[in-house]
Amino acid sequence: MPYLVSFHMGWLIGSVLLGFCMGWISVVQRGSGTSKVTARWLAVLVAGLVAASFAHVVPGRFGYWLDLGLVMFACYLVGCTIGAWLRDRVVARSQPAA
Amino acid sequence: MWGFAAWNNTLPVEADLSARSTAALKDTVLDNTQIAVDGRDVSLAADAFSEEGRRDAVMAVEIVPGVRLVDDQTRLAAEAKPFVWNAERDVVRVTLSGSAPLPSMKARLTEAARKEVGGVEVADQMGLARGAPPRFEAAAMLLLDQIGKLKDGKITISDTQVNLSGMARDLGGREAIAAALRNLPEGFTIAANDVKAPPYIFQAYKDPVAATVTLTGYVPDNTVHAAIATSASRKFFSEKIVDNLKASVGAPASFNTAVVAALGALSRLSTGTLVVSDREVKLSGDALYEGAANDIRAGLGKDFPKNWQYKPEITVKPAAGPVDGTVCQQLFSELLNKGKIRFATKRADIDPDSAGILDHLIETALRCPTTNIEVAGHTDADGEDSFNQALSEKRAQAVIDHLVKAGLPADRFSAVGYGATQPVAGNDTDDGKAQNRRIEFLVR
Repeated sequence: MPYLVSFHMGWLIGSVLLGFCMGWISVVQRGSGTSKVTARWLAVLVAGLVAASFAHVVPGRFGYWLDLGLVMFACYLVGCTIGAWLRDRVVARSQPAA
Repeated sequence: MWGFAAWNNTLPVEADLSARSTAALKDTVLDNTQIAVDGRDVSLAADAFSEEGRRDAVMAVEIVPGVRLVDDQTRLAAEAKPFVWNAERDVVRVTLSGSAPLPSMKARLTEAARKEVGGVEVADQMGLARGAPPRFEAAAMLLLDQIGKLKDGKITISDTQVNLSGMARDLGGREAIAAALRNLPEGFTIAANDVKAPPYIFQAYKDPVAATVTLTGYVPDNTVHAAIATSASRKFFSEKIVDNLKASVGAPASFNTAVVAALGALSRLSTGTLVVSDREVKLSGDALYEGAANDIRAGLGKDFPKNWQYKPEITVKPAAGPVDGTVCQQLFSELLNKGKIRFATKRADIDPDSAGILDHLIETALRCPTTNIEVAGHTDADGEDSFNQALSEKRAQAVIDHLVKAGLPADRFSAVGYGATQPVAGNDTDDGKAQNRRIEFLVR
């Protein structure tokens, strides 16, 4: 993991930033979100992929791509969280003034 | 974005992990190492020389940062049975072949061979295998020390058996190798040591134009050297001895006797070459007359020690033209001024060292067949006059007997003894006495 992080630092920062942007805009997004069922299925899929990664069951380059994808996805989620939280703070502060 | 990252980084990641894995294996002892990286999975194929070395190598790659899985395709190197190692020397190179137990030892053996043979090329054709006997390196190093002493040959270790064959470079090399082999490490035995010594060569060349006899080659020691040099200077009465002999061990038995006898035969030739090689004597050249040629061909064999071979190739020098009595006298005087006929002390037995000068006197006598010759014996003044008188007569007669035996008619010669009555030098010094003891040829 430290090797993956240090070797792909640029790409991971990119993922965090992308996630930050997505989180930032998601707060004011008015579209219909994913259904609970779909979200559950997606969570199961991600959990399965994480389990496959830790169990080293995917061989060779696919295994590497899986690990890389999961690390980037984790960074993306962290970015989303930070972005959404900050936007939320910004929106919350501006409402009483309005 | 993930796709781009994967597309952009896969090859760099693989190259980086490959480099790191190779670096991690630097201190391990492996042969035929192959590292293949697929994503973050490393496939390691190599020949290891022990089970422990194999485990260590896999472990070293497993702990490389970034490596996810190691596919262990290592195996133990083949075991050689019997474990054979060869060092072969020919004219241009030394070839090391067979098996070495470890790559580092292979390099050390090659380096040692290079050091031993100086500028000669060393070809390393050794493979790697397990199964070397204990103390193999010490044994191989000791044997490599011997390769420098060989002109050509082969040294083989087969398990703990050592075989040597070939030709030693120098005289004494064979003995030096045999002595060094006593220090072989425990457990190793000599199965065969067929190293041959180079031939022990002594050569003499009689050059009538330069009036020299050149001695080259080897003599066993300084005593024999001195004995041969003295003998040569007595036998070759008119030639200068050029002594280029070197002392070396390895002479065959009875070397001195054989060489002295062969030099005696050479002294009777007008021009000739003597080559003594181990126990073989080759004498070639021109005798002064037919009788001498037959004598040399037949006679030398019996003077020789047993087990020696004598190969004479004697021709007869073309007879010189006849001359009159005055010239004949001049030739006799010249010969007897250069050398003298020697006898045993106080006896009338001709010294064998005088065979050369007698042949020259006979050749001269053959050139003036119509003359009569007085052979005059003289002694120094030591001892009784009557004894000296009788001795001088007997010695003169002994010389005539020799000439007649060589084929000259007896009626051409008369023996006269003068005792000490006609000295040519003072009898008060050894040198003067030596000059007075003489045989003269007078043409009548």
